[in-house]
Amino acid sequence: MAWIVEDRLKPYQPVRSEPYLTAQIKDHVAGKYFPRYPNRRAALLPLFHVVMHEYGYIPTQAIDEAAEFLGLTRSEVQDAVTFYEEFRLEPTGAYVVNVCRSIACELCGHKEVLAKIRDVFGIEPGETTDDHKITVFEVECLGACEQAPCALINEDLHGTINPGDFCAVLKALPATPAGGH
Amino acid sequence: MAFSGPVLLKRIPNDPQQRKLLRYADYVATGGYASLKKAWGMPAEDIIKLVIDSGLRGRGGAGFPCGTKWTFLPKESFPRYLAVNFDESEPGTFKDRYLSDYDPHVLLEGIAIAGYANKISTSYIYIRGEYHKQARILEEALQEAYANGIFGQKHPGTDIVHNCYVHRGAGAYICGEETGLLESLEGKRGWPRIKPPFPAVAGAFAKPTIINNVETLACLPYILEHGAAWFKSMGTPSSAGPKLFGVSGHVNKPGVYEDELGIKMSTLIDKYCGGVKGKYRAAIPGGVSMGILGTDQFDAQLDFDIGRKYNVLGLGTAGVIVMNDQTDLVVMLRNIVRFFAHESCGQCTPCREGTAWMHKMLNRIVAGYGTAKDFDLLLEVGLSMGSMPGTTICGLADGANWVVKTFLQKFPDDFKKRLKRDVVAGVTLTPAGAVV
Ligand SMILES: Cc1cc2nc3c(=O)[nH]c(=O)nc-3n(C[C@H](O)[C@H](O)[C@H](O)COP(=O)(O)O)c2cc1C
Ligand code: SF4
Ligand code: FES
Repeated sequence: MAWIVEDRLKPYQPVRSEPYLTAQIKDHVAGKYFPRYPNRRAALLPLFHVVMHEYGYIPTQAIDEAAEFLGLTRSEVQDAVTFYEEFRLEPTGAYVVNVCRSIACELCGHKEVLAKIRDVFGIEPGETTDDHKITVFEVECLGACEQAPCALINEDLHGTINPGDFCAVLKALPATPAGGH
Repeated sequence: MAFSGPVLLKRIPNDPQQRKLLRYADYVATGGYASLKKAWGMPAEDIIKLVIDSGLRGRGGAGFPCGTKWTFLPKESFPRYLAVNFDESEPGTFKDRYLSDYDPHVLLEGIAIAGYANKISTSYIYIRGEYHKQARILEEALQEAYANGIFGQKHPGTDIVHNCYVHRGAGAYICGEETGLLESLEGKRGWPRIKPPFPAVAGAFAKPTIINNVETLACLPYILEHGAAWFKSMGTPSSAGPKLFGVSGHVNKPGVYEDELGIKMSTLIDKYCGGVKGKYRAAIPGGVSMGILGTDQFDAQLDFDIGRKYNVLGLGTAGVIVMNDQTDLVVMLRNIVRFFAHESCGQCTPCREGTAWMHKMLNRIVAGYGTAKDFDLLLEVGLSMGSMPGTTICGLADGANWVVKTFLQKFPDDFKKRLKRDVVAGVTLTPAGAVV
């Protein structure tokens, strides 16, 4: 729920000396995205997509660093970042499985997909397997309703899912994904 | 009415095996970018007039006349922006994705035409975060377009350089609402703005901004090519042109199909989708905000008059979701209301509280604890939370209102038979025929 902020605010994670926004990330964002907009603030979403891609989540410290980099207050950055569901504030497993739960997918059996994942991996939506390989979430419509039930495994869409086959695909994935998060 | 074959889908074969992504060269080889060249040879005002004459109405949900919207830009106020609405997050909607999956350049050509007609400096394609693959396709197509002088050049006859960028969202339905989109584009939470000022006057970065849906823009090259009269020869008097229909749910061949506006839903389903899987019971005409069509409305004509004629909110995105007679409509309404409760941005009390409470009530009814009063209460909460203009900032609350209202009006018995009638206050309830 976009307006519930409390349960997304996580305790402050320990500070580490090397920055999360490395010089490389900053150069990339400054070079590619700053010229696109009349102000730096507009590069906030692109910047955090880069952070997500790099770390798989958004460390609290990265919010501070981003504030400085974009010339904003910490609260302005926090306010924006916590609004978006794709920006996760806690680490997940190597693979994030986003199972669609909206109407077309419910009509076509999304519950069976989740039940099979529960059977095979022992995880409910929001949970991660003990080996940190898979985290499963339920999400709203993925814009692929003709392929219901469907799910994203990291960036890849899987449609017309057969629950058993889908879990077999998940099982067969290498321990770490090829293309980063 | 004269629809003689696919327009927007003319480059995308019916057979899934034969579909492939069209690169710049493929697109040009099939007549692509000829319309842009033609547009560049015309005065900008003539293009706006042509679009007005064509009767093109917005394909993003509201059906606002496209050319008329363009005329709201204040004269001589620059820079101007174009925000392309590729948020496509309304459950049941996937037509824009389908178009960009295979034919991304038709969107870029549409953007270039709209950009020239409106003297736009920068166009932002706001694409939902979950469309990873589509964002990559568009980035690549943009590179090709830049390399071929479609973008990064001055609009002919002006000093305005036109750039176009992909801007990715990050998982929030409300960023499809046009002013929520602008806030998100500016790096803020996607909270819709109170209007006025309207985006045409003060939009992105407080500058004049046009917001158009992907499919709306994709119509432009064809209108330039064939003219306003041709476009108007398809559809109905109020609803001109061809239209993409995304059909999902209980049909044999779900997918994106094209026909003219005004086609009967039954025809669409029988002609293209291989018929209903099972026996037809109900359908959502265009994304879940629109409400539900009843069992006797299978023949509803899908055009912009649908709201008035069939007691739904409107055509919306023309994402048709079909439900057969095995469907539990109470569970489906709960699903839709859950969606709205989850996606409400929380600014307006009626929307934030109303959607959340309706979800709780539906949970209770589905679990078998509903009381006889709940039917009226649900209707009352639903009716008092939307009704634009007035009580809320944006149309999300209206969508929730319409969906609850039409489900209860058209299928009252589905709800009433789930309600426990003999409830005494203070007594622990047991579920009445609990269903999960
Ligand atoms: C809650 C809400 C969500 C919306 N989501 C979308 C969307 O995902 N895509 C879209 O094109 N329009 C969406 N709209 C409609 C836009 O506000 C706007 O009317 C449209 O983008 C204008 O483009 P058009 O005139 O070309 O249709 C939404 C509206 C509301 C109220
Ligand atoms: S109506 Fe709902 S979604 Fe729209 S601005 Fe108000 S609270 Fe947000
Ligand atoms: S409802 Fe699942 S993808 Fe649209």
